[in-house]
Amino acid sequence: MSADGTLPPAAGRGGFLASRTALAVVIAAYTVYTLAPFLWLATMSVRTTGEISADHYAWPRPFHWEQFRIAWVDSDFATYFWNSTVVVVAAVAVVTLVGAAAAHALARYRFRGNRIIYGVLFSSIIFPPQITLISLYQILVDYGLYNSLLGLTLVYVSLQLPLTVYLLEGFFARIPQDLFDAAKMDGYGDIEIFRRIVLPIGMPAIATTLILNFIQLWNEFLFAVVLITDPDKRTLPIGIRAFMGDHFQDIGMIAAGVMISVVPVILAYVFFSEKLIRGMTAGAVK
Amino acid sequence: MAVVQLSKICKRYGSGGPVVVDNVDVTVGDGEFMVLLGPSGCGKSTTLRMIAGLETISSGTLAINGRTMNDVPAKDRDIAMVFQSYALYPHMTVAENLAFGLRRRRTPPAEVKRRVGETAAILGLVPYLDRKPQALSGGQRQRVALGRAMVREPMVFLFDEPLSNLDAALRVNTRNELIKQHHRLASTMIYVTHDQVEAMTMGTRICVMNGGRVAQVGRPLDVYWNPADTFVARFLGSPPMNLFTVPLSGGDRIRTPAIETPLARWTPAALAPFAGREVVLGVRAEDLHLAAASAGAAETGRIRGRVFAVEPLGAETLLAVETEGGTECTARLPRDTRADVGAVVDLFFRPDAAFLFDARTTAAIPAHVIPANTMVAGGPGRAGAMP
Repeated sequence: MSADGTLPPAAGRGGFLASRTALAVVIAAYTVYTLAPFLWLATMSVRTTGEISADHYAWPRPFHWEQFRIAWVDSDFATYFWNSTVVVVAAVAVVTLVGAAAAHALARYRFRGNRIIYGVLFSSIIFPPQITLISLYQILVDYGLYNSLLGLTLVYVSLQLPLTVYLLEGFFARIPQDLFDAAKMDGYGDIEIFRRIVLPIGMPAIATTLILNFIQLWNEFLFAVVLITDPDKRTLPIGIRAFMGDHFQDIGMIAAGVMISVVPVILAYVFFSEKLIRGMTAGAVK
Repeated sequence: MAVVQLSKICKRYGSGGPVVVDNVDVTVGDGEFMVLLGPSGCGKSTTLRMIAGLETISSGTLAINGRTMNDVPAKDRDIAMVFQSYALYPHMTVAENLAFGLRRRRTPPAEVKRRVGETAAILGLVPYLDRKPQALSGGQRQRVALGRAMVREPMVFLFDEPLSNLDAALRVNTRNELIKQHHRLASTMIYVTHDQVEAMTMGTRICVMNGGRVAQVGRPLDVYWNPADTFVARFLGSPPMNLFTVPLSGGDRIRTPAIETPLARWTPAALAPFAGREVVLGVRAEDLHLAAASAGAAETGRIRGRVFAVEPLGAETLLAVETEGGTECTARLPRDTRADVGAVVDLFFRPDAAFLFDARTTAAIPAHVIPANTMVAGGPGRAGAMP
């Protein structure tokens, strides 16, 4: 309605309707574009490789739910899942705690070398992680950590820590100094202020880094395939790779494995999506 | 209950860095409401933060009740502070904000509940105890910030421009609320502001600061009627005091084409050192009148100039005049005053309403007669600053 309470002219209403329709079409097309491969994969996960080879896009008939049992029990996906969970949860926990503490220190305390440390961290984000692969391999061998979940966890921590510190520092620096001063006046020390003020207020940003790190490490393949050789220490991405032979690929089993591996990612989104959005838009809206 | 003593307090950032607080010597008495007043960058907030323990003291001594506090951490000083931004914890409810400081001091839960309830009742916050700060208005947030300080029952309250984020109407209400709470608590309070109205209405005493130094300390009306220098004279008063740099002719009067006045408040002995030199004549805007008769004195001072702006404000009219020498001055006149822009007018004032300052040092030249209007205003302790 216009300011005088009358409806806008028909041409105006038509234009509005057309623009909304165009927007809906674009969103629908994008949804199909992103969702279709996932749905295709989901249908393949309950079909045998023979059925998939006969007709790539056919609807499952019948549904081979046993593929998940075969993948989980017979193909050791339970072990891979457990290994991935241990490595990723441990790495994300360390990265989040250490990263938040480091970001808080860099954002809040004035000390000699503060900006140099920040610059070094930032520079490590710029370079591709592959250039550290050989040196990390050698370090793990030297310290007896090669082919161990602990070694892989430490590598994951080193990979994700700079970006985490960088993202959190930007958020923490925007927390007003007065809040810290008020907490000091209320009788709290530095560690208590970090725990009771910085962590709760920074939770949207922390949740953002947490989910980004989780997804990135959960899907990480390169470092895992180089640094882990024992079958019983494989993580999920390497486990899925085991279904790919030189002459034969068990597509149905790969699809079932991928479906198993995406469940935690979907759950992470479900639980953290609201905080993720708040973290990504923090500062954008006053 | 506390006496806060600042002895030659200095603040310097880095070795050889700028001195932002320079030799501040002030004692705030028990139960006193001291206002640190000055323009931005004068060091008043830094001084307050040093008292709070949020800034280190470069040199000098801070003592509370005789105990040196320089190296005592902020959390152990038993001081509460209200910040300009309120600094409420956004993830906590009003009740949690109020209780936060008490919990750290291991106050029993029943006592925490009692004090939070009592403070919330005094400040009218009971309906909002379960709300988070973002669900409160500016005035309510300000009251929570005040409550957070009150609930701790500290020795000293510090306020860092707590009203500057409020709109004009709310500022007046909250100002009165603070005055009321000061009377109720009878605690020592130190209040930083750049707003002279807040300083004049709230302070038991005010400490005017300029360039990191204390320019003058005294009761509000004492300082208003006996400014120590031209800075204080212009900083207190709205419009600011009119100042004219003029030669002192004939020993006891000023006579230029634009300004003519006897100097009735000063003895010849007081003026003798300035004979033949330039001095600064000060006249407040409210002491200027368009007609000599209304000045009410046998011999009046006179300023002649050309009107360049007329500002009718409803309750009064401000007349802006430029003298022949190019100096601008403002007169606060009755609301029905009529004047044309461009017209030449004579502004009259009682000679005993004039102030005189040394043009070289800007310091006030002591007078033996108290300024006009102070008898009417009834400012306490005026004679204290008299020679």
